[in-house]
Amino acid sequence: MIRFQDVSKHYDSQTALRKVTFAVGRGEMVFITGPSGSGKSTLLKLIYRAEKADEGIIQVMDWTMNALKDSDVPLLRRHIGVVFQDFRLLDNCTVFDNVALALRIRGTQDRELKAKVFEALKLVNLRHKADSFPPALSGGEQQRIALARAIVAEPLIILADEPTGNVDPDTSAGIMRTFKDINARGTTILIATHNRELFRNTGRRVLRLDFGNLVGEEAA
Amino acid sequence: MGSSYALRFAVGSILREKWIYLLSVCTIASSLFFTALTVLLLVHVDSATRKLPQKFSVMVYLGESVSPEDRDKLVALVQKDSAVEKTVFISRDDALKELKSTLKDSAFLLEGIGENPLPDAIEIKFKSESFGPEAVERIKTAIKDMKGVQDVEYGEEFLSAVHALRKGLRTAGVAVAVLLIVGMLFVSYSTVKILFYRREREIETFKLLGATKRFIRTPFLIEGALIGSVGGIVSLAVLFALASVLVRQLSAAFPLLKVLSFPPGLAFALPLSGLLIGIGGAAIAIGRIRY
Ligand SMILES: Nc1ncnc2c1ncn2[C@@H]1O[C@H](COP(=O)(O)OP(=O)(O)O)[C@@H](O)[C@H]1O
Ligand SMILES: [Mg+2]
Repeated sequence: MIRFQDVSKHYDSQTALRKVTFAVGRGEMVFITGPSGSGKSTLLKLIYRAEKADEGIIQVMDWTMNALKDSDVPLLRRHIGVVFQDFRLLDNCTVFDNVALALRIRGTQDRELKAKVFEALKLVNLRHKADSFPPALSGGEQQRIALARAIVAEPLIILADEPTGNVDPDTSAGIMRTFKDINARGTTILIATHNRELFRNTGRRVLRLDFGNLVGEEAA
Repeated sequence: MGSSYALRFAVGSILREKWIYLLSVCTIASSLFFTALTVLLLVHVDSATRKLPQKFSVMVYLGESVSPEDRDKLVALVQKDSAVEKTVFISRDDALKELKSTLKDSAFLLEGIGENPLPDAIEIKFKSESFGPEAVERIKTAIKDMKGVQDVEYGEEFLSAVHALRKGLRTAGVAVAVLLIVGMLFVSYSTVKILFYRREREIETFKLLGATKRFIRTPFLIEGALIGSVGGIVSLAVLFALASVLVRQLSAAFPLLKVLSFPPGLAFALPLSGLLIGIGGAAIAIGRIRY
């Protein structure tokens, strides 16, 4: 599903990733960990083409990133659901419209759309907040809306950047349960986190980054 | 973007940024208003002056001893010119009769005159589309030295003045209209540009979620179209109100105000030009979207 071959990424003088090689198969749920600044976000951004690699080969589904045309980027991204580290919710739109956006972008008809949005909101326990606006919600609630938007269109791949960044342990457990359920349906999931508690005793693969180097792979 | 959602989205952002939009609508409305006024004035001046040529004819006065052959030669030469519609021979007797009927009650003035003092004449009538100082000059040069031609008379200076006026007005009008249209494009452009910058993060999010360029552009184009067409409708309303007030109250005293008589085509032309200018400005402002 996802393959990195000797991938390097530099920002100006800063090296964010150095010759990283790994592969994630279809239906896997894999954690990426490492201290702050180690390159986790950059790795995810390379997958949904928010950044371009300077060296190496990246393959996502049937696309080779190096050869990906500008005009194919929207299509690639519509196969991927991203929970952004900073959520990226639209403050002027209701919770419902924020989640619905992912479907509208994919051209989903209004009839289907409503049911799907409410189902996704129910999954993150925020159905009752459908008419609220994001600024009126807590950080944890905003995070769960971002999650609902990432999963609502049932993409093949879900990328989550610190999805439990600022939530309490209970909510965090709920979010992880949601990932597990979706993964059980066959969705490939990559979760970047510096919080080791998240994958302790999950038995999942963990990729460890340090200063842009992939320093190890372990089973939690 | 589904069109109803795009419309809702566009209207939502218009309401949020209502002052910017209101300002843009006013600017576009007043520019369209002045453009329409300029065009109206131009059209009326043009059609008013276009009627002049029918009244215009060149009179060729003939000498007393001119032979019918010379006259025919003259007529044949004049009629060869493509600008000439027809020639009319006016005999000195006809001319006198006409003069008498024109003077009517004052015809006694002519009683003291024993012999008819008027010469024979040929009136040259021009086709309206080819009438101009050049054509008149050409005819004059061709015939003035011919046998029997005593005098060629025409409103040379008046004619040139009318033409210069018409040309000048047309140039000035087109310049004003172009200036205003460019101005309106710029207003629409900068409004959308400002909003585009303000919503940069939002647009970035759209892109990251996999939105196509069309999906991103649609609401902005709708906003541009709304600014433009509302501006057009406002200018139409103002123009219509002004025209009806002026025509009703003042046209008796100043017939020139008939210039403001209202062509029904404007009811479509103004909102439509507003719409096109709004969409055009928005399209330029959005420019290329890159991923
Ligand atoms: N847009 C950017 N411009 C410059 N440097 C960046 C940018 N994004 C990330 N970096 C740098 O790249 C390195 C890796 O960052 P990041 O991938 O965000 O790490 P993590 O998500 O693990 O905290 C850091 O040193 C960070 O400062
Ligand atoms: Mg990060």
